[in-house]
Amino acid sequence: MRRAGILLLFAFILSACGAGGGGASTTPAGTPKTGGILKIAQETEINTLDPNTSGLLVEREIYYNLYDSLLGIDAKLNFVPELATTWKYTDDKTLVLTLRKDVKFQDGTAFNAEAVKFNLDRYMTSTDPGAARKSDLASVQSVEVQDPSTVVVHLKRADATLLAAFVDRAGMMLSPTAVQQLGAKLAQTPVAAGSGPFEFVEWKRDDHLTLKRNPDYWRKDKAGRQLPYLDQLIYRPMTDQNAILASLKTGDVDMARSVAGKDVDAVRSDSTLLYKDTPGLGYQGFELNSSAPPFNDPAKAKAVALAIDRAQILKNVVFNNGVLSYGPIPPASWASDPSEKIYDKPDPEKAKATATGFSFTLKTGNIQDNIQEGQLIQSQLAKAGITVTLQPEEFAKLTLETRVQHQFEAALTGWSGRIDPDGNMYAFWHTGGSFNDGRYSNPQVDQLLEQARTTTDQAKRKQFYQEAQRIIAGSAVYVFTHHPNVAQISTKHVQNFTLIPDGINRLAEVWKS
Amino acid sequence: MVPTAFLVTVAVFLLIHLTPGDPAAVILAESYTPQAAAAIRQDLGLDKPLPEQYLFYIVRMFHGDLGRSVRNKLPVTQAIGERVNATLELGFAALLWSLLVAIPLGTLAALRRGRAPDIIASGLTVAGISVPNFVLGILLILVLGLLLRALPVGGYIALGDSVPDNLSHVIMPAVALGTFGAASTMRFTRSSMIEVLNQDYIRTARAKGAGAWRVVNRHALKNALIPVVTIVGLQVGAILEGALVTETVFSWPGVGKLAVESIFSRDFPVVQGIVLLSALSYMFANLLVDLVYAWLDPRISYS
Repeated sequence: MRRAGILLLFAFILSACGAGGGGASTTPAGTPKTGGILKIAQETEINTLDPNTSGLLVEREIYYNLYDSLLGIDAKLNFVPELATTWKYTDDKTLVLTLRKDVKFQDGTAFNAEAVKFNLDRYMTSTDPGAARKSDLASVQSVEVQDPSTVVVHLKRADATLLAAFVDRAGMMLSPTAVQQLGAKLAQTPVAAGSGPFEFVEWKRDDHLTLKRNPDYWRKDKAGRQLPYLDQLIYRPMTDQNAILASLKTGDVDMARSVAGKDVDAVRSDSTLLYKDTPGLGYQGFELNSSAPPFNDPAKAKAVALAIDRAQILKNVVFNNGVLSYGPIPPASWASDPSEKIYDKPDPEKAKATATGFSFTLKTGNIQDNIQEGQLIQSQLAKAGITVTLQPEEFAKLTLETRVQHQFEAALTGWSGRIDPDGNMYAFWHTGGSFNDGRYSNPQVDQLLEQARTTTDQAKRKQFYQEAQRIIAGSAVYVFTHHPNVAQISTKHVQNFTLIPDGINRLAEVWKS
Repeated sequence: MVPTAFLVTVAVFLLIHLTPGDPAAVILAESYTPQAAAAIRQDLGLDKPLPEQYLFYIVRMFHGDLGRSVRNKLPVTQAIGERVNATLELGFAALLWSLLVAIPLGTLAALRRGRAPDIIASGLTVAGISVPNFVLGILLILVLGLLLRALPVGGYIALGDSVPDNLSHVIMPAVALGTFGAASTMRFTRSSMIEVLNQDYIRTARAKGAGAWRVVNRHALKNALIPVVTIVGLQVGAILEGALVTETVFSWPGVGKLAVESIFSRDFPVVQGIVLLSALSYMFANLLVDLVYAWLDPRISYS
């Protein structure tokens, strides 16, 4: 407590130091300047540079600048061409991809259909115990090379989520030559292994990771100038949010993904910094274990959802850096329906009429924000006669008890979010899903999630997800509170940055003035 | 030394393995599936009974193999080896700061006992002992880094890359880490010095006409330093301990920061390796203290 208090005080003084001036939320236009080094703060150190075994958001941050994916997305989450120029389902179980012909990996190996097959096969058949892409590609039966620039992906079953997987790590293409030559070193030193805008230079663990410009990158800007503009990217892991803010203010780093919520207002009004944000793809809230007392009684779960004041949590804990959440579908998604507002306003009286006079233990992370949120929930539920005991735990213990052992009554958890709604729902509420901590099982939800997976018609998928969301949020197996914003904080020298709701930096078109 | 080291390995092994948390779930994070987690546990041998895991660990240790990091699969010796230089540099700088402040100030306080320099020095001592190193670190960042922009707020530049950059980065963390030691060393220097200054041989030296400087430097200080060396020795051993927090505050890529991150991700082999290193550094510091005793006081000899 004492430490947190002092840190708060420090952050307050820190924020005060830079106050003044009007903030700019848009990047001024100008002629891009080539050259320069961009230093980026990362919230934690990465574990691996091999997409095959990656599990962290900070790793994706680096990969998107090092490797190209088969598909990209724009700021509205539409799929856009990247290494594949067209993609078409010829039938439910056959996806045909046409590839770019002008791409070479940084080691000189040509990018073609053989390379795509090599990469997808590697992800699907990896014997590495940490292999994490197998589940992303579980629907793929085989990959066929039709000609050097055409790949046919044969599926075991229809899978509408595959295109979104091809945007992320399962679609990242590495040079087959480099992968074979580097072997186990790929995870640490992927020299010339990608085709992306930047190539690997060095990684001094816990200190910095350096990428340099790929002079032969295949993309040019609208005026025909070679991309990327920057000479170098230097990523620095900084676990302390106050240290990140201090470094941004002194210019020791140029860019970061997040500062503490309480500092956002000060950063916005700081004339030396640029702050951009947009509602992200993730959600926050708390899960109620429907397979154990007290929440195996649906009425009790509903009473909790009815009594919660989401707006108060958003305001007091998150400092309004997000939007209210009524379910797992994020506002940026095509599947979102803004009129859908399940449990919109708190109603302690109705909650009392539904169920009251019971108690439960809410496990939270042991960081200040989580504890504060827990305390707020505690006081809100007290108004409906529900007693909450808070149990703050260290992250690894919380993960063990919820995800692995399923031993909890309620737990404050969240999800960073995925482009396709399936990534925000299936693993969490389908019977036996990997993230189904509370062992929720509802045949109707299972069916809707299956149908949404196997239909490629987006309008129909939207209906299925809306229906599933109504059941999930309505039964309060998870009490959704808010969708946190994703943000980009940089010094004012950083130009032409586009923030995409997945919150990941794509730096090919960024330049420094 | 060997039985102590053995006990340390048992204690560390038990403590870290009995701490709740599943490394597989932490590593897989957002890519978690029960199957993948089971594969990782099997690969790391975490599915075996604890005594068997311990035996396996000890046998490998005698072959110089401390295992591999759960997080990034690097050999533990390499993971620690990569960071040891940064911590040694920080530790050395912190100790240098601590001694440069403590010995002269402690001596001065003893010579001017009860007068202004003594009162000021005592006040500083209380402040130095009571302010935790992370608070001091944050204050330094605030004042020297943000307000005055005199020093970089964090990070590390290798000595080989740029000497001035290296030095400018080490100053603040070294002061943050070394100040607690400086304060306690000053306290010891002062009291030990006062005791020595009251002894007969000092009066004799003065009576013989030795100058003030010579009395203090040649006759008093060396004898007064014996208890001080004990406390400094303990500080040398404790450098790694203090580095846990200081390195995190200053994003200093040393063993302390590695320890913090490894604990949070339940990277058992790395944590075990670091605690072993920490225990060894205490033992080494003790050995060093014994040797310095003999140099300071020729009456102490080891046979």
